[in-house]
Amino acid sequence: MLKGAVVYEGQFTLDFFALLLRDPQLADALKGSFGLALTSTALTLALAIPIAYAMVRYRLPFKSVLSVLLLVPMISPPFVSAIAVRKLLARFGPINQLLISLGLVDPTNPPSWLDFPFWGIVILQVLHFLPIAYLNCVAALARIDRSLEEAAQSLGASGFRLFRTVTLPLMTPGLFAAGSLVFILAFTDLGTPLVFNYTRVIAVQVFHRVEQALEDPTGYAMVLLVMVLSVLIFWTSKRFAERWQVQTIPRAAGETGERVLPLPLTIAITAAISLVAFLAILPNIAVVLNALADRWFMTILPDRWTLRYFQQLLVYPLAATSIRNSLFYSFASALLDIVLGLAIAYIVVRRKAPLPQWLDSAAMLPLAIPGIVVAFGYVGAFANTPLDPRQNPVLLLVIAYAIRRLPYMVRACYAGLQQVSEALEEASLNLGASPLRTFLKVTLPQIVPHLIAGGIMAFAFAMLEVSDSLILAFDQRYFPITKAIYALSNRLEGGVQMASAMGVLGMLVLGLSFVIANRLMGRRMGEVFRM
Amino acid sequence: MVSVTAQNIVKHLGKTLVLKGVSLEIKPGEFFFVLGPSGCGKTTFLRVLAGFLFPDEGRVFFGDRDVTFVPPHKRNAAMVFQHYALFPHMSVWENVAYGLKVRKLPRNEIERRVKEALRLVRLEGFEKRLPLQLSGGQQQRVALARAIAVQPDLLLLDEPLSNLDAKLRAEMRSELKALQRQLGVTTVYVTHDQKEALAMADRIAVMHDGQIVQVGIPTELYRKPRTRFVAEFLGDANVWEGRVKSVHSDLVIVETAFGQVNCQPPSFTLREGEKVWVMIRPEMVFIAFDRAESLSQPNTFLARIEQTVYLGETVEVVAKIGETSVKALHFRPTNGGLPNEVRIRFAPDDLTLLPYEVAEEAAL
Repeated sequence: MLKGAVVYEGQFTLDFFALLLRDPQLADALKGSFGLALTSTALTLALAIPIAYAMVRYRLPFKSVLSVLLLVPMISPPFVSAIAVRKLLARFGPINQLLISLGLVDPTNPPSWLDFPFWGIVILQVLHFLPIAYLNCVAALARIDRSLEEAAQSLGASGFRLFRTVTLPLMTPGLFAAGSLVFILAFTDLGTPLVFNYTRVIAVQVFHRVEQALEDPTGYAMVLLVMVLSVLIFWTSKRFAERWQVQTIPRAAGETGERVLPLPLTIAITAAISLVAFLAILPNIAVVLNALADRWFMTILPDRWTLRYFQQLLVYPLAATSIRNSLFYSFASALLDIVLGLAIAYIVVRRKAPLPQWLDSAAMLPLAIPGIVVAFGYVGAFANTPLDPRQNPVLLLVIAYAIRRLPYMVRACYAGLQQVSEALEEASLNLGASPLRTFLKVTLPQIVPHLIAGGIMAFAFAMLEVSDSLILAFDQRYFPITKAIYALSNRLEGGVQMASAMGVLGMLVLGLSFVIANRLMGRRMGEVFRM
Repeated sequence: MVSVTAQNIVKHLGKTLVLKGVSLEIKPGEFFFVLGPSGCGKTTFLRVLAGFLFPDEGRVFFGDRDVTFVPPHKRNAAMVFQHYALFPHMSVWENVAYGLKVRKLPRNEIERRVKEALRLVRLEGFEKRLPLQLSGGQQQRVALARAIAVQPDLLLLDEPLSNLDAKLRAEMRSELKALQRQLGVTTVYVTHDQKEALAMADRIAVMHDGQIVQVGIPTELYRKPRTRFVAEFLGDANVWEGRVKSVHSDLVIVETAFGQVNCQPPSFTLREGEKVWVMIRPEMVFIAFDRAESLSQPNTFLARIEQTVYLGETVEVVAKIGETSVKALHFRPTNGGLPNEVRIRFAPDDLTLLPYEVAEEAAL
């Protein structure tokens, strides 16, 4: 449906693409997006691989605490942190104040960090995508049959040579998956560049062209290009990931495979990981500080605190409405996801339909199709119909949220269904129960925790969905939280603080959802975020 | 060629005590088997020899060299893993060459040794294939070639044949044995399959519950086990409870539920009135159809045939002497069935007495 809309318009002619490449602004944006995504992906992986390796293979103190801290950045969309970080990095902002008090920069002429929006965006993206890359790397490492490394050791290999010749090549499919996920996310990230007023990326260009979507075909061409690219990357990496899927061998009980390192090395590694975790959480801390700061000017930390902005959320119409809206949209989309996800997962896992592989790929496709594509497709497809998002975006927002988070839900259901032995279902059928009854009485009760966990995740992510919300909601009455945050952050008086307060609220919702979902799913949580 | 000495190895995995003081002496060039049921600690012991695990107590020597805490890559002890552990991203040639490249051998030497190793396992012509394109038996051979190519001081094999089908396994047995002879490398082979051990081993150590129960050459272990566990683990056995009636220099008379039997004196000391296990292998039980066989002879009993299982070359017979079951093998079966009533005779030399320990039987 959404693809059809885009493709239909795009199919007229390929001239738009030529136009696109000739337009210097767009060509520049295309280059900018590539540069940004490549830089962010490379840096993210460069951080994630060693951290994952150390966390999986070495015995470290506070490991469970560290592994939670490393995931914290997931609870806020990067652009919310970007708003706070913009404040941190301001010319007379806290970072420079700190550097001045340490005597590292000239107090009369502090550096103007915001003149380098590219690196600001890169840093925020890297810190924010780190958890996803980290989870994928951990999974890739965990899937490696340890006896392969032992075989190499018994043949005389050790240290970096062992890592380079055996461990790294075996991790490659997982790394590729992680890399392409991060690349697509970075390539199509709309919120962060928007906050930094950085227009030299495709997503921002698309965003600015939505309004004239119907008149200006270059917008379509651009979206189509982004989509084709994303899908291509996604499928390549998926096919790549399916190679060398060697069955892992269960370890002898009690052998954790964790190596004990000499004490100084252990301390150094733990400190390094803690530092990265702290840096990754810093933007989130900045959001909280911002929301609580009454006066924060020319000082490192705010000098007066207040809860005023939280109180304002309850009365200020835009804030209150958007919270109500988001709760409703998210709840509806989560429900839709549960139904769709369960159906798809059941069909794929139990092989009850022809072409289950194809269905699986299709269900995972939203991972690859960026929010800007979905949103833009809807705007184009439904303009001047009763569903026109410019009139009332509610239904489209719910569907967009649901589609975008469907892969996570399907994953959660896979994990659940794979634990239910098919023999149980066969036993029930064999005893005379109908397939429907079997499903309701035998299968369903066993996967309820996974359903709830997946539903909570879908709900929480929908609450903080950025690109769909920014693009699809035109009218203040229908603003979801994220668009309200964006709108607020551009106001002068107290806008940033209120935006931050809403951000804190969102982070609390998502954080809480993670904890609950984690409880429900246990150790299989990590599988939800893999490709 | 190197001798291997394990001295009183103790190892915990997590909170479980897996090895409870294992001591072994393996001679240079010996084809040595560690045999035991799953969970007995044999794989853990092998991993201690390989250096993947360091023991909590005890020492490991290769020759005179103390290798207890030497990391695996410095031991020159190549291992063949149960699931082969072939590098999936490398061709057969690269797999076999891996250890040689690590040792930084000159190119032509690597070339020569890979070729030689592949020739020994009869896999010439497969150099370019990836492991996933090979059958189980071929993968097994690559794993073996990879291990022997580095000319290890010690070759370690962890149930290498357990993933092959029965026919291939039988073939590989004789091949492995011939190869080990040819190379003369000290080899430790871990398995739960007593037939493998009996067929290939120079010597076998039987392991049970983290301890070595008996070490010996195959015939000795099979014919003269020292415990009921070893007797039953190495093959089918009739084991009956008995009480010592009298002890003579060349004979022990034991009272069992079905009557008195004369047995060969055991290696341990027995007193009159003591409880004891009486063991005999089914193939050693002599079945006589001839009524002339006199029941007044010692060790001869009248038995009723309860059940027969036709196996082609033999018939498995379960007979009853009174209330006691006796398993026996009847060779050269004819078309006609067996009579209902037979006479059964045990040669005193074939009756083995085993110390009576109740605790150990519970574990079996």
